[in-house]
Amino acid sequence: MAFEPVPLQPLERGYLTVLRIRAAIGWLFVAAMAAVADGFLQWRIGLSPGVVTGPFVVFAILSIVFLVPGRWRRRGYAFTDRELHVASGWLTRVHIVVPVSRVQHIDVSQGPIERSAGVATLSLHTAGTENSLVVLPGISRRRAEEIRDAIRGRISDAPW
Amino acid sequence: MSTPETSTVSEALPPRRLDPRTILIRSLQGSPSVILGIPVVLAWSRGDGVPVAFLLAGMALLLVVMLFFSWLRWRTFTYQILPGQVVITRGLITRTRRSIPAERIQDVSIKQGLLSRLIGLAEVRIETGGGAEDEGRLDSVSLSEAYRLREVLRGIRTGVTAAGASGHTGEDEAETLLFRMGFARLLGSGLFNFSLVWIVAIFGILQFFGQALGYDGDRWLEVVGIAERALESRLNASVLLSVAGLAIGLGLLAGVIRTVLQTYGFRLTHAGERFRYRRGLLTRTEVVVARRQIQLGLVERGTVSGRLGWSAFKVQTLGGSDHVSGRQELAPFARPAELAPIIALAGLPPFERSPLRPVSQRHVLRGLVGFVILPTVVLLAATTIFPPAALLLFAMPFTLAVALLRRRCHRYALAATSVQVTRGVLRRRDWTVPYGNVQVVTVRRGPVQRLLGLATVRIDTAGGRGINGPHVHDLDEAQAAAFVGDLIERVKALGSSTPSNAH
Repeated sequence: MAFEPVPLQPLERGYLTVLRIRAAIGWLFVAAMAAVADGFLQWRIGLSPGVVTGPFVVFAILSIVFLVPGRWRRRGYAFTDRELHVASGWLTRVHIVVPVSRVQHIDVSQGPIERSAGVATLSLHTAGTENSLVVLPGISRRRAEEIRDAIRGRISDAPW
Repeated sequence: MSTPETSTVSEALPPRRLDPRTILIRSLQGSPSVILGIPVVLAWSRGDGVPVAFLLAGMALLLVVMLFFSWLRWRTFTYQILPGQVVITRGLITRTRRSIPAERIQDVSIKQGLLSRLIGLAEVRIETGGGAEDEGRLDSVSLSEAYRLREVLRGIRTGVTAAGASGHTGEDEAETLLFRMGFARLLGSGLFNFSLVWIVAIFGILQFFGQALGYDGDRWLEVVGIAERALESRLNASVLLSVAGLAIGLGLLAGVIRTVLQTYGFRLTHAGERFRYRRGLLTRTEVVVARRQIQLGLVERGTVSGRLGWSAFKVQTLGGSDHVSGRQELAPFARPAELAPIIALAGLPPFERSPLRPVSQRHVLRGLVGFVILPTVVLLAATTIFPPAALLLFAMPFTLAVALLRRRCHRYALAATSVQVTRGVLRRRDWTVPYGNVQVVTVRRGPVQRLLGLATVRIDTAGGRGINGPHVHDLDEAQAAAFVGDLIERVKALGSSTPSNAH
């Protein structure tokens, strides 16, 4: 929308899958608890099955189909060789700018779900206090390593 | 200065332990709960007929156990100064050996609590600029050992830096007095530290002791009831006024006491690249702030004292501050003319008011929504359930005034070497952040802000915590984009060198 100092690149399509799988796992736990409550209520007061679980399942499906893509679309990044931009947030939008010369060290990580979807997470550590860790998830491993190497070349002579 | 150590760099003494009196201090510090517990236990046991001697024996045993553990901790804790590093070893079962490289030592500060002062001990803290609080704490050594350590550690530190620098930062450079607070000014500043919070705390403590000493809650209620009945008959304006006057008087007194305890004998001195301040009546604190540690400068003007021309100068450092905000006060209560040389010596550019620009006019609108409209709606809703909540509605004209004045007090500018921000309707704050110390810039847009097309720019620095940072609230979105672009450009132009490194 309005605030965009640099054109942002969207995250990998695979990261949408990662977000969906994570959301599905989370909802699975919720649904399991709802099912237990359902069974209990059916046993105690003879409520017809699915009264509690049903709405949760419907909302979970709606969330995974519509809300998660919205969240994914709001995320974006840009690497301009001298700074990294990371944008995220659905209700409150946050746009973080990290000057490359301020990066203390960098990690590239890949969890099991991320690996299956072919994406990686780039973590930048800075000396700042509020944003001591800036995380950019959902880019391809090759791109993450590219950015890491580009930044690494610049921080070798930093004073701290 | 105090002890002539010439061959400090090559010192390789065997590991030392802390002062043995530390054992005593630690167990005494740990025992207030035991001592406070005595009257409680006595009060309870009166009815049950438990022998008092038995209880006292139990407490003595507890003290012995505490002494033993203190001794164990003392026994297993050693420190050693080796060429180029300090090694601290501790732990009985899990031995931890921590080595602090000399080049990472920012400085050494010394702190003395009341108990420590009585027997001549001091806590030494080796500041490294790292995040960990307890990284290099020696609690406690004798005062002379503390001074010796400081000299030695400074020696190995400057030994490192002097190799690169010109080496003019000699240890015996005379310290110049920059700022001190006389008793009259101390009292004056205390008057502006008016706080009712402390009265509440005092009543809380009284209540606690009352209970601990065996008074029943009912008896208090009874007393209050009698007082109430006595008062009701003659409750009029003059009584109310005198009660209010008493509260204000107590608030003033509490402020003065707190200020005297904290800042008694405040002295700020300067030598070479370092500031050093001492303060405190009971707990004497001596802190050294190296200039290259300074991340940003903040001039704070109080609600009333600021209008009378008094302000405080604070700096944010990488570590070493006791305060939650991570800031150190270099001058608690001073005139602008007194602050100017301190700010200059801190390597910060002066705060210039004229080039400052205002934020968006919708800043006022957002203030109205957040401070007036939303609270009013919430309060009205709350009143239907809990009628006394309506009393809080009387605060609304006040918040309305704050909301309307907000934009007038909030300005920002990108100066030659620093970003400068001023904010605050009641308590006014002027920040100066050198570009070299800007770490990360964040732009936030909440739902209301997006509706109004606004954005908040937050400037993150090392060591800064809390809400009172150098943030620029409610810029127009296009304005924010330009500001961030310009700011990042200047940060990059400076590279990664801090301004003090450039000197």
